[in-house]
Amino acid sequence: MHVFGRAFQEGNFVLKEKSYVLEYTVERIHLGWKVTGTVRGRPGRVEVFREGAPERLLVNNWQSWGPCRVVRVRDYVPPDRIDPDWQYTASVFPEQLTKGLQSDYFVASEGKVLGFLSSRIAHPFFFVENGELVAYMDFFEANFEEPVPIEPFVILEDPNTSLLLERYAELVGEENNARRRTKAVVGWCSWYHYFLDLTWDEVVKNLKLAKDYPFEVFQIDDGYEADIGDWLNVKEGFPDLETVARVIGEHGFAPGIWTAPFSVSETSRLYLEHPDWVVRENGEPKMAYRNWKRRIYALDLTREDVRGWLWELFSTLKRIGFRYFKIDFLFAGAIPGERSRNVTPVQALRMGLETIRNAVEDAFVLGCGSPLLPAVGFVDGMRIGPDTAPFWGDRVPDIGAPAAKWALRNAITRYFMHDKLWLNDPDCLILRSEKNELSPQERRLYAFLSGVLDGLMIVSDDLEFVDIEGRKVLEETLKLHGGKPRVLNVLNEKLAYEIVSFGARSGNVKMYVDLEKRTFNLEVDDGLSIRRKTVERGDGRKFHFYEGVRGDDGTQVQPTDR
Amino acid sequence: MELRYNPLTDEWVIVSAETQKRPVQPSKVECPICPGGLELPEEYDLVSFENRFPSLKRNPPEVDWKEMGPFRRERSFGVCEVVVYTSDHNTALPGMPLQQIEKLVDMWVDRTRDLSGYDFVRYVFIFENRGKEVGASLPHPHGQIYAFPFLPKRIEVKIEAMRKWYEEKRRCVVCEVLESEGEERKVYENEGFLALVPFYARFPYEVHIYPKRHVSTLLEFSKKERRDFAEILKIVTMKYDKLFEQEFPYMMMFFQAPFNTESVDHFFHFHVEFNPPKRDKDKLKWMASVETGTWTFINPVVPEEAAKRLRETEVVL
Repeated sequence: MHVFGRAFQEGNFVLKEKSYVLEYTVERIHLGWKVTGTVRGRPGRVEVFREGAPERLLVNNWQSWGPCRVVRVRDYVPPDRIDPDWQYTASVFPEQLTKGLQSDYFVASEGKVLGFLSSRIAHPFFFVENGELVAYMDFFEANFEEPVPIEPFVILEDPNTSLLLERYAELVGEENNARRRTKAVVGWCSWYHYFLDLTWDEVVKNLKLAKDYPFEVFQIDDGYEADIGDWLNVKEGFPDLETVARVIGEHGFAPGIWTAPFSVSETSRLYLEHPDWVVRENGEPKMAYRNWKRRIYALDLTREDVRGWLWELFSTLKRIGFRYFKIDFLFAGAIPGERSRNVTPVQALRMGLETIRNAVEDAFVLGCGSPLLPAVGFVDGMRIGPDTAPFWGDRVPDIGAPAAKWALRNAITRYFMHDKLWLNDPDCLILRSEKNELSPQERRLYAFLSGVLDGLMIVSDDLEFVDIEGRKVLEETLKLHGGKPRVLNVLNEKLAYEIVSFGARSGNVKMYVDLEKRTFNLEVDDGLSIRRKTVERGDGRKFHFYEGVRGDDGTQVQPTDR
Repeated sequence: MELRYNPLTDEWVIVSAETQKRPVQPSKVECPICPGGLELPEEYDLVSFENRFPSLKRNPPEVDWKEMGPFRRERSFGVCEVVVYTSDHNTALPGMPLQQIEKLVDMWVDRTRDLSGYDFVRYVFIFENRGKEVGASLPHPHGQIYAFPFLPKRIEVKIEAMRKWYEEKRRCVVCEVLESEGEERKVYENEGFLALVPFYARFPYEVHIYPKRHVSTLLEFSKKERRDFAEILKIVTMKYDKLFEQEFPYMMMFFQAPFNTESVDHFFHFHVEFNPPKRDKDKLKWMASVETGTWTFINPVVPEEAAKRLRETEVVL
């Protein structure tokens, strides 16, 4: 085991290289060791850690949609090519994915977790080279005249790997001052029924139907806007956004809106008016990705005028009534390229995230398509898997493409991030009985597992097509919420998982899930045999009255009333 | 009402003039927590309510300064609840029907879950002071819950001790104690719990209750464990009352893992401590200078002897 090329040892050290000087400390922490330090000069890519690669590794992709899965190291075959239209969803360094096994931010093996605690400046990752597992921090082309902190690195060891992953997440949360919300959001989102065919009439129809659901948030997704980048201009048939927010609010929900704030389409008014606002390559606008049948560019978030526009956009959305912001395709903010200021792509992304957070103040921000570590501390919730879909997706390759199966797999393998880095968003529940290829069993599996894992609970259906059975599934799912989940066998390769959750509303829960067979078994310990009624007296004091209930009624303690 | 920091001991002190106003030992007719009383005019079965004279509040008063030289203070966020076990004024844990204690355990679980949902809460401390010898101000069967915004000092000490043990042995210390205990210090056991006078008892007749399964908070108890827990609480308190054939005063304290902070679940084992002040039928063991000043306890009763007496004190459910 080597740290910065030196045999592992606790203490303070200095590494002097031609182009940089790195001062670092290796110290003991609970369950392992932590490496911290500073670097000065032009470090480029720095090797942090090296040891023999284990047989099996839990490897992680850098952004929301990418897979987090167990790989048998010796058997790993890298892909032949990376789709150039989506290369930066695969990696900030897409070219090296065809060369070997890479994991961003952390890896886990039996009894061991290695991980970086932040990505504020550098992009930290692992690569398997000649049978060795090597951790790197890549500072891109940045040159630091004054010492800057390196991304702290931890080595954690314990026989219980799940515990180590949770501990790692806890350390990441502390390091980045993660935003902690104690209550997950329940709501509605338009995407997985309407996709781009959203109309205002359908929004209003669902608003009326949503009154019978326990939703707090009602969020319109992609499909309302004139173009990518022109967020305040709506497409034909939609009222202005102020009216949208007002009408949603009048129905008793927190208005929510989707944007892809760091993306700008080649056809948008924003780009036509400000072609100089985008990240470039060899002086030309650089395509971040291709979607909506268009080239999508990335905003140069290091420009003050761009950040001014971003701040104005989000403070306007907040001012006109939106309280829940799903911000998508965030990886675009961190693609490598030419920007107006000499900072790393990671720093640029964080400048954008910070601007949004400042603009919306304490409103709920849900990250999506986002590099994970750089976003900690800015977002309240985070999508931790690919898009779900109204189909299981057995034939969909495991590369971040939409599929219920892979969305669930990531919800399981990244379970430990929940409530420590942010609230996990396992993606939407699809409960409708029509226009849905998911079988009733698959719908239940998705919903119940999401409930046990305690993340966001967002329903994405035309509510007209949700029958009594669908309503019942949602009701049951919410009872599974509120616990402390743990995946006991996160390192298994067969997609068959054992999950426990303590203290869920319905009691303690055990769930066995087989994503290949699409089966599950749910064991719920009997809930409490009491019923609570809370009364607030005139002096503001709360009185909680309890009485016993019998048999199966014993799960009737009301959810916390905050 | 505020929190003040003691830099000599690195601990927070709750300053609350409100608590001075609490009634002391009112008669049954004046009992404020009987049905029809000041606090609870309605009929009820069990109830937990925010103390009229709290030490900590959900909306505590502002403090006009937080730091001045060596002095620090903070708003006293938190919740102080009075937990009324039953509407029957003339009973106590040992005399309550088992079914009522089962409901009480469920109520403690729900209070823990509810209070831990406040983001300012770090520790949910459930306790009962029984008898005037330990300062109980009301004879009606009740306990209290303090939801603290910080980790109290002794909790910190426990956590650090258990952490140290885990780091050295990669095992939970209480799990190891449970494996090492035999009959000698046992008071009672059922399927889920062991009641014992611990090897390291500080008070004469001190009893600890340890769940046999490694659980760190009440929230993790299974239904069976909740039932077993109710039973063992009743048995232990019945034995206490039978020991000297008198109502036995005690401090009953539940120690669970903290909330909304670093997870210590893997090494923190939920446990109950009964700290009774009696060292004999008519003699009290005081928390005097040595105990209070140094946290060093001189236990005049050998734990194995105390355990034998309690074990042999027979009670029938």
